[in-house]
This record gives sequence, C-alpha cells and structure tokens, in this order.
Amino acid sequence: MTTIRLTTLSVCAALLASSALAQDVNLMDGVEPRPEGNSIVEAGAFQTEAPWTIAMSHFGVNANTWTVQTAHEAKGIADGDARIENFIMLDANFDQAKQVADIEDLIAQDPDVLIVMPVTPTSADAGIQMAIDAGIPVVVHTGRTENQNFTVDIQGGAENFGRVMGDFLVEQLGGEGKIWVLRGLPSHPEDINRYNGLMQALEGTNIDITQEDYGNWVYDLGKSLCETFYLNDPQVDAIWSSGADMTRACVDVLTEFGADIPPITGEGNNGFFGQWLELGYPSIVAEYSPSQAAAGVRAAVALLEGEALHKHYIYEPEGWNAEKAAEYYRDDLSANVWWPTELPEETLQELYGN
Amino acid sequence: MSTSKTHNLPGTKPNRWLGKNSRQGNWWAALLLIVTTVLILLATTDDFATPQNANNLLAQAMPLIIVAIGQMIVIVLAGMDLSVGSVMSLTTAILALDGSPLVLIPLVFLAAVLIGIVNGVAIVRLNVHPIIATLSMQFIVLGIAQILRPVAGGSVPDLVVSLVTGSVFGVPAPVFWAIFVVALGWKILHGSRFGLYLFAIGGGVASGQDDTAHNFGLKDGRSIIIAYVFSALFAALAGTFIAGRIASGDPGVGSQFALDSITAVAIGGTQLSGGVGGLHGSILGAVLMALLANGMNLAGLSAFLQGAIKGVILLLVVAMQSRKKMGL
Repeated sequence: MTTIRLTTLSVCAALLASSALAQDVNLMDGVEPRPEGNSIVEAGAFQTEAPWTIAMSHFGVNANTWTVQTAHEAKGIADGDARIENFIMLDANFDQAKQVADIEDLIAQDPDVLIVMPVTPTSADAGIQMAIDAGIPVVVHTGRTENQNFTVDIQGGAENFGRVMGDFLVEQLGGEGKIWVLRGLPSHPEDINRYNGLMQALEGTNIDITQEDYGNWVYDLGKSLCETFYLNDPQVDAIWSSGADMTRACVDVLTEFGADIPPITGEGNNGFFGQWLELGYPSIVAEYSPSQAAAGVRAAVALLEGEALHKHYIYEPEGWNAEKAAEYYRDDLSANVWWPTELPEETLQELYGN
Repeated sequence: MSTSKTHNLPGTKPNRWLGKNSRQGNWWAALLLIVTTVLILLATTDDFATPQNANNLLAQAMPLIIVAIGQMIVIVLAGMDLSVGSVMSLTTAILALDGSPLVLIPLVFLAAVLIGIVNGVAIVRLNVHPIIATLSMQFIVLGIAQILRPVAGGSVPDLVVSLVTGSVFGVPAPVFWAIFVVALGWKILHGSRFGLYLFAIGGGVASGQDDTAHNFGLKDGRSIIIAYVFSALFAALAGTFIAGRIASGDPGVGSQFALDSITAVAIGGTQLSGGVGGLHGSILGAVLMALLANGMNLAGLSAFLQGAIKGVILLLVVAMQSRKKMGL
C-alpha cells in the first residue's frame, strides 16, 4: 500500500513538475496554456542539437499590412537566434492548394520543426500528418486545423475578439439600438468566428444589425462600404468593425459627411490609434498581435531546446482603452504598424519610419 | 486515314516541329527554360533530385497540366475558357457533400458537361464573345460553389483521396493520372478528326476568315460546343485531383487556375489567336510553372521575392516568342 502511495505521489509530482516547466515557457505576453482539454509535450521529446532548420508555411504574406508584419515578426525572431541556421518561410498566398504544395516542399528539405499558419481548417491537414509521420514536430498558429495531430498550437480567439467588441457596443448602447457591421473576407474562418463572437454578445439584447457587408479588412473597401451604408440610411447608433483599417475608413467617411462618430470598434493599428486619440470617439481595441508569428518560432525553438510545452495555447486578451492605446501610439511611425509588436526599434524604423 | 497529314492547311509545310511555320508553336522556349532551371536546381540544391521531390513535383504540376490541356482545346480554336477555375472549385464543393462517391463523382462530370454546353451555346448560338461568356459562367459557377460550401472544409470520399494520393505497386497515383490525361489530350487534339476540326476552325479565325472551316463543310458550331464541354470536363478532372490533394471542399481553390492555364498554354507556344499549338507545349508550360514554384521553394528564396522572380522568368519565356506569334 505504501509503495502504491509513493508511486502515486511520484507520478503526481512528475506531472506537476512537467506542467510547471511547461508553464515556464513564455511564448508571448497574453498567450496562456488552454485551461481545458490540454496535454503536455514532454521535456526532451524533440530536443535537437543546433544548428537548426525551421520551416514555416505562411497562409499569405501580402494580403494586408498585418500579414506582412507577421512575416517580419517571425523572421525577426529567427534571425536573432544564431542557433537557427536556416529559416525557410513559404507564402501560400491564401491558396489552399499552394499550401499543400508548400508544405510538401518544406518537408522535402527535412526541417527540424515545421510551423504552419493554415489557409483554411483543412489546407494543412495532409501536410501536418506527413510531417508528424516523418518525425518532424509541428507548431500551428493563427488558424485552426481539423487534424489535431500537431505538436503545439497557439490560437488567437477569434470569437473572443468579436465578443470583446460586441460587449463594448452592448455596454455603450445600453442593450438597444441599430448597428452597422463591417465584416472581413467572405468565407474566411477568422471572419466567421469573429462574427460568431459578435452574435454571442448581442444575444438577448435589442440591438439590430441594420446594415452588414464585407470590407475584406482593407481601407478602400471599408470606405466604399460605409459610404453606401450612410447614403442608404444614415441612422446608426454604433458600428462593429472587424478590422482597424475599415474602422479608419468608416470614421473618415462619417467625418467627410459631417456626421457624429458613434461608438465604433477598432484594432491595434498605429494609424487607427492616431485617428482615435485625435478625434476622441468612443472605441475599444480588440488585441490581435502579429507577434503570434514570433510566438510560433519561439515554440519551435523551445521544442528543439527540449523544453516541456503544453499542446494547446490560447491568446484571448482583454480589450484596450484609449489610455493603453496612447502608451503604444508612435507618431514617428507609419499607419501600417500593428501593436503590440516584438520587432526591434531598428527594424521598426527601417520598415515603418516616417 | 492519317490524321497527321490532315493537320496541314494549304500553304504550310507539312507538320514541322520547329521553325516559323511550325503548327506546334514555339514550345522550345519553355523546354529550354525547364532544362536551364533543372540544371540550376541540380547544382544549387540538395533536395531537388530526390524521389520524394519528384513525386511532389508531379503531384503539384498535375492539376495545371490537366486544366491546361482542356484550356488548349478551346484556345486552339481561338476561344478561351475563364470558367475553368470555378469549375474546379465547384468540383471540390460537390465532392465534399455528404453522399456516396458513386453519386458525387458522376454528378461532378454531369455538372461539367452542362457548364460546357452552356458556354458553347452562348458563344455559338448567342454569338457572345468567349471571354464574356466564360467570365459570366465563372461568376455563376463560383456562386453555386459558395452556396454548396460557403467555407472551405468538409471531407471528400476516401475513394477520391486514394485515387490521388495512393500508389499501385509503389508507383504513385499521379503517374497514372499523367498517362491518362496526356493520352486523352493527345487523342482529342492530334489523333482524331475532331482535333483536325479544331485546328482548322482556329486557323481560319487566325487568318481573319472565320468562315473558312464552315465553307469547307466542317460543322464548326458543334465542334466549338464540344470543345467547351471538353474544357469543362478537364477542369472537373483537375478539380477532382485537387479535392483528393486537399481532402476537402474549397470554393476558392480554383481561383488561380483560369489565368495560370492560359499562361501555361501560351508559354508552351500555342497561339492565342488560334490554329497553332501542340499538346506537348502546353504540358511543358504547365510543368515549367510548377517547376518554378517548386524550385524557388527548394532554393529557399524569400517569400517576399518569389512572386517577383516568377513574374520575371515568365516574362523572359514570353519574350523569347514574338507577340504576333503568340496572338497576344
């Protein structure tokens, strides 16, 4: 009996120690182990002597300024670690078939770790399996996959993002009113999940969506959308915008028409911060840092160092108010920087300096 | 009857593979660049000449090869099919529906036949320009694909996945796909009376005499409609291959293929003005495009640079052929 108790205690101690070790790895501020349904990647499971080759399949580098910055964030971390001899990043250009091909080409180069930002929930499934079968650990982030056989994933909660914005509007409107909804890319999982988060926030309220359409998360389309909405029916109590460039565009439209700016949701974008702080309209920032790409590289490095990690990490930060935005805003940088960032000052100046 | 002889129109020398009067087009430019690219990759990368990468390359090139063959069938008669990408997307959407593959696979090809007939009838009977007719069809078919599957996902039948990713006696499935589509394309374009009609109709259009084929007694309207049906069928076949690769449905998966297939056909030497071209050229064009993507990935070229480099190389190939010859 004593032996059983001792064994049980030893196992519990080992599990706790392993869990504690896994929690010690800070992938990024705001990224936490998922509290439920998690497991541990044991210490040393993928420990490898440097130099390392880290391969990364990016879902689409050049879609907008945020995606561009994710690529720089990942590359910045990799370039700063002398043990990473070769960092190979391929751009799927939001093409599911290309991501399948990219992952094949990356695996053919026998990397020590494969990092995947999936185009769609299924675009990387076969590739993940191929890598795992070849003994290559896989880190998935900024997009979910149906294949759950990856080694570690880090997921920004798109529903949390939409809900943070939705809760703010519900509070601002006291539970009733008319809102416009500016969505992202049609059919994109991130857009659908953010919208689901909004729907959760609106449940049980008397808030009606009077106008809704897709602005593809870009300024130009966001502007056209808001012009159309305003000309169609200028009565609006608040605006739920799924992306900061669309928020800026919509505020510009309302300003041009001489209308009051109602509560409108935003994102951690420098251009939006400048406009928000200058005009002082009611808003909130849902944080969605491009540094998630840096966290992905950091997770890959931790695996190769032999650190214990959790299998699932989540990134569901609280919303930012104007005071916090003011701490980050930089008028010496262009509108295209996204906060928070891990890019060093030199790189920020090089890429975004005015 | 020898079909090769019947390909020669009056005033041209018999069926030369090279030279300014070649009815096969200037396919050698694509071949030259393929050889150059292969030599560079052999010299600079360790991972290119491996069996695994050969399998990868064949599988990556296959959808474009298939859809380019279909595209060539309409281009050679001076047409163009912009709806092929949407047909591919629709194919994946249909295959990801709940149902037996014995129902879904025939449904895919039935849909393709209908799309091809509507394209052909719009062009022949309603006299709509091929670009307008097939562009309209592109939007219609894309809309249907998005209704069937608004978001990428679902799963396609295991049979389809096995047909694409499996192997027979160690030979990967894409090898059998390659043999099948090349044999089928060759039979249609270069081994049948129908192929002869296509070249004759396209040659007439290219020489500014649209009625030449008709005046020789050829049933050009029927041939054009059948050509668009073939184009849609090849697109459905390519869509089936892609569906097996991604194992799911995706309403946007074919979006690049309309322009890519036209590019592959053009850099393979087929004249967009009609009447001149060869199946081997289109295949070389498709292989070149896949090789560039594969090679740049293996060479570790920056994701920021790859698009620009691909554009420069394709411009180089096109510049090796005269604009007049290409029909652009």
